[in-house]
Amino acid sequence: MSQRFQITRAAELESLQMFRDFIAECCAHHNIPNEIVFELKLAVDEACTNIIQHGYKGMDPGSIVLAFRIEPDRILVQITDFGHAFEPASAPAPDLNAALEDRELGGLGLFLIYQTMDNIDYQASQDGNTLTFTKYYRP
Amino acid sequence: MNIQDIQKNGVTVVQFSGSIDALTAPAITEHLGGLISSGQIRLVVDLGGVDFTSSAGLRLLLGAVKDARAGGGDLRLAAVQPDVMKVLKISGFTNILKLFENVDDAVASFG
Repeated sequence: MSQRFQITRAAELESLQMFRDFIAECCAHHNIPNEIVFELKLAVDEACTNIIQHGYKGMDPGSIVLAFRIEPDRILVQITDFGHAFEPASAPAPDLNAALEDRELGGLGLFLIYQTMDNIDYQASQDGNTLTFTKYYRP
Repeated sequence: MNIQDIQKNGVTVVQFSGSIDALTAPAITEHLGGLISSGQIRLVVDLGGVDFTSSAGLRLLLGAVKDARAGGGDLRLAAVQPDVMKVLKISGFTNILKLFENVDDAVASFG
């Protein structure tokens, strides 16, 4: 048994809270553990922030479609946008052991997605760019 | 996002409440930058009321702690909530920032 949820919002920073609230609301009906809900909110927030700040850069802001499916042991997330394609795997990973003065300010968003989510995939086509990932959990 | 400053024993305690994301981070960055540039470099950030942070929060803390330490001060965290603590740990920030269970301990740590 699974249930699918979807929300479409403008690609603007004001939408971030709406995406997070939507995730929390949907998960609340399925007794998803709090730490899993937080990690989903974090990963979706980071992905959407990248789309808003980089994907639609130089373009009129379009939309972001967040869809996810809750299954008994996993949550499948799909985020689609219609801006510039961006390959997440091409981004450099931050150096977590660097001294304070050497730590860079960027690169952490994607890193957090990779640290908290599984089965991360990215597809770009003329119909849009789609980032998918899965979060497994113990009910 | 609400921001409030309190002075305690020569330390500026900055209280945030709400969520830190790419929308709310610039106002916090500006606030901390204003304190540091006015010479308030002994800072405690009280995160007791913050239930969410993205990497936008990490970036602003990193920038502010670098500036505070460059001036001979420091920025220390207090009352970090479990979800926010997880983000700090994953990203290695617990190694570069000093964390305290509550504001009083963080203020006292400045001596």
